[in-house]
Amino acid sequence: MIRKEINRISEVGKALISVEGNPGVALNHVVELLEAGTNQSLSFAKAINITEDSTRFQVFNGTQGLSTQTKIRMHEVPLTAGFSYNMLGRSFDGIGNVADGGPEIIFEKQISTRLDTLNPTVRLVPKQPLWTGIPMIDVFNTLVKSQKIPIFAGPTEPYNRLLSQIAQGAQADVIIFAGIGLKFDEYHYFKEQLSQSGNIDKTIMFTHLAGDSQIKGLMLPDVALSVSREFADQGKDVLVLLTDMTNWSNILRNVANYQDQIPSLQGYPGSLYSELAKRYEVAADIEGAGSITIIGATTLESLEDPVPDNTGYITEGQFFLDNGKLKLARSLSRLKQQVNGDTRNDHRPIMTAMASLLADAEKAYEAAEVGAANDTFSQKLLRYREDFIANMEEPFGEPIELEAALDKCWDILKRHFEPTETGLSKKLIGQYWN
Amino acid sequence: MNNNTTRTGKLISIQDSLVKARFYGNVIMGETANVIVDGKSLQAEVLQIIPDPKNADAGIVEMQVFEDLTSAMIGDLVEFTGKPLSVLLGPGLLTSIWDGLQNPLYKLAEQNAYLVPGMKAPALDDQKLWDFTPSVAVGDSVTGGDTIGTVPEGRLKHRILVPFNFGPCKIESIIEKSAVNITEKVAVIVDSQNIKHELKLAFRWAVKSPIPFKERAIPSQTISTGVRVIDLLAPVSYGGTVGNPGPFGAGKTVLQHSLCKYALADIIIMAACGERAGEAVEVFKDFAELEDPSTGDSLMNRMCIFGNTSSMPVAAREASVFIALTVGEYYRYQGYNVVLLADSTSRWAQALRERSGRQGDIPGPEAFPMDIPDQIKGMYQRAGADHGTGGSLTFIGTVSPAGGNFQEPVTQATMDATGGFWGLSQDRADAKKYPAIDPLVYTSSVYDSFISWTDRNKMLQTLNDANGIDQTISTIGLKKVPVEKYVLYQKGLTIDFCVMQQNAFHKLDACTRPERLIVINEAVQKLIDSTINFAGEDMEDEEVKELVKARFDELRQWWKDWNTSAQSLDEMAVLPQKIEQFILQEEYAL
Repeated sequence: MIRKEINRISEVGKALISVEGNPGVALNHVVELLEAGTNQSLSFAKAINITEDSTRFQVFNGTQGLSTQTKIRMHEVPLTAGFSYNMLGRSFDGIGNVADGGPEIIFEKQISTRLDTLNPTVRLVPKQPLWTGIPMIDVFNTLVKSQKIPIFAGPTEPYNRLLSQIAQGAQADVIIFAGIGLKFDEYHYFKEQLSQSGNIDKTIMFTHLAGDSQIKGLMLPDVALSVSREFADQGKDVLVLLTDMTNWSNILRNVANYQDQIPSLQGYPGSLYSELAKRYEVAADIEGAGSITIIGATTLESLEDPVPDNTGYITEGQFFLDNGKLKLARSLSRLKQQVNGDTRNDHRPIMTAMASLLADAEKAYEAAEVGAANDTFSQKLLRYREDFIANMEEPFGEPIELEAALDKCWDILKRHFEPTETGLSKKLIGQYWN
Repeated sequence: MNNNTTRTGKLISIQDSLVKARFYGNVIMGETANVIVDGKSLQAEVLQIIPDPKNADAGIVEMQVFEDLTSAMIGDLVEFTGKPLSVLLGPGLLTSIWDGLQNPLYKLAEQNAYLVPGMKAPALDDQKLWDFTPSVAVGDSVTGGDTIGTVPEGRLKHRILVPFNFGPCKIESIIEKSAVNITEKVAVIVDSQNIKHELKLAFRWAVKSPIPFKERAIPSQTISTGVRVIDLLAPVSYGGTVGNPGPFGAGKTVLQHSLCKYALADIIIMAACGERAGEAVEVFKDFAELEDPSTGDSLMNRMCIFGNTSSMPVAAREASVFIALTVGEYYRYQGYNVVLLADSTSRWAQALRERSGRQGDIPGPEAFPMDIPDQIKGMYQRAGADHGTGGSLTFIGTVSPAGGNFQEPVTQATMDATGGFWGLSQDRADAKKYPAIDPLVYTSSVYDSFISWTDRNKMLQTLNDANGIDQTISTIGLKKVPVEKYVLYQKGLTIDFCVMQQNAFHKLDACTRPERLIVINEAVQKLIDSTINFAGEDMEDEEVKELVKARFDELRQWWKDWNTSAQSLDEMAVLPQKIEQFILQEEYAL
């Protein structure tokens, strides 16, 4: 097949190029950039903005080294991703090229990366718990199959360690690792951890390192999620690890600015919410097929930053990591009510009671700073708070089964309170206090 | 509008969901058009018409397209329809689940598990037969909004109306009582110009033209929502409007679901606008197995859902709220009490922001369009009570303020536009005090409801006082607080813990009806009015406070148990008695 070519680029900017006139490219279709003379392939690019006067492209490999004479060859199809079971155990870049130095893969099929919305009627209401062995998650914010949930953490927190700890016990057929803007040591860490836990053979890694071309980072979730979806459509339970979506959002911000879009908050485009939602909403338990669970990482300076703020409205809760502890106060699993009613009869009540006491304890802690927590009960609360942080909010360590974790909760309450002070019912107190 | 020649245009610019097309001849502002991309027909709406700088004979039309435009090219054909964005109104609306443009989702799922651009299905089942009973005869005079007959729709009597834009007409023919589908002719009417019009069970209505009221009235009858803090402190009436803002995680969704399940209304319409798909799915899959609190039927029989969820095309988000409003107005006109839950109006506003940004409009605060407050007001104004029909449309919109900051433009405009305001508080949510409606941060335009305005204010005053004392305790310590203030604090704490907080996942506690509210109010008022004397003779103040706390802890534990166990009238009556005992016991114990 002879492909149409364009011979003159009129504008080369950061990550974007334009040509004059309308060469007949369709929206979101892919073109290949070739070095003038040698015809050596330099990069692929995608048409993002088309008018009768000019056409603009996002260049996957960046624009360094491109000239006005670089040739554009049209492929007349939107971006697809290769799919094959042979991808398991291998590493790829943001657009699905082999990136581990290993042999090329012969793909079974090419799949669309458009991420069409799943018809809501074929979604199942999620009802299957995913146990992690982390009491803070299993007791207080139970994770559910097909949930989409990020870890919110400051940039120096061990969020990747937590992510990999959750992945280790993962009850999943396939793990898709999608890393955007990673440092090399982070990528290496995940690879090591996945190997050590014996999960590497069911893992596909898509990695974009900090400093790689921005457009490849921007495309990465779409490629990784399309591959995830194909596995799920084939009946597999897929766990997607998406880190770090703040990096991704920052690329989105950069590219929007290159495109002269009007920024809304802190320079992010007004479409930030929709763009994040489009990716996270891929998580689903599909009727008659498999499922996709997404656990992400969102680094933040403040919870009010646009990225965590928009993310919180999209995802089904968040795990909040602070000072190495998984904090109860700001963590939330929105799906927990689907699964924590049929566990042990004290599960929900003790969760509520301990949370409520901890909130009181936080108030007492603030009061103590000004010397106002001088009554007996405040003192109890302060001791409880310390105990809770040390024994419940610690996410790293030996996994604990749910029942043992619940017993541990009672032990903590017993150490500090009288039964009536807990707000728990007489019936439960009778059953578990002694 | 009745152009027989198809008016067309050609695309000259494509950017995300915004396109421009060159046309010759005429284009109508706000009309819909089909953009033909790769053989598929995608729905679009005209936003703006401008001159063509390159061609004086032509014009340029700017449009938003409601579906993904991948593969669109310059020169692709645009066909103008002459019709504004509209919704099909008729029997079969209830129990339906659509996308934001009234495509039925279950029908689309038969074609593909994914929502692929260009997919369409009829908005209402056009095969289903309805038992039509005429209520007018040949020669009768009718006008827009009049009933010409009825069909049973579930438990409701669905009135077949003359479309609202008709003036005085005469019935020329009407069918006998028979079973017909929505495509069949049921009557012919003749207008004053002697033009004949066929009427069917269903007709289309433009979503941006509000369906009129017969006789608009001030909302006055309180809705029993089942949520105690709302029904006691911030009630809403049939036909009222409420804004419900809250940061993420504060419990907006759970509250919406509670209202869906327990609010007493004939019809609940849910506009899932730009929110999580999973939540809408929970409603139509799990709630279908729950009982309607007023009829005992499946809850879905009183519902319809517009699901333009967060990953669906943004342009259709704006449409979804207007479509839902129009369906609500239609049933109000039939005399039913309709509650519309729009989740979330912020996503709707963001859709407008994305669009105006692409159009290059000068942005207002936080890049929202300058006129966003007016647009929000206009939307809420479509709710209301109608004495003429006996129906009402109540609009409860959630707001998702960026950063949880209530000062942002959409929250502010909503506060201005609505009668009620249920502000959800992050602090209460963090303390798992649900529902996290802060009793001190809300407004309501309803006065006497299930309890008297005086009782309500006393309750509020106590909560307010307790909150003040709480702050004193945290700043100067409990020791400095006098015993009687501490007792007041404990009273407030008890009202908060046992009445304001409610377990939405407990079968009995999740919903409190007026008769139970009255009992609770009696108990609360007794507690507030009591002057419990704790002046022990040989006890230190600190010991007294510990005793006070222990006694109130016990009371709270008892009351919480009552919330989840007392069912019969006799069991309920125990609560005020218990409070009396509690007061006496404290008086004599010391």
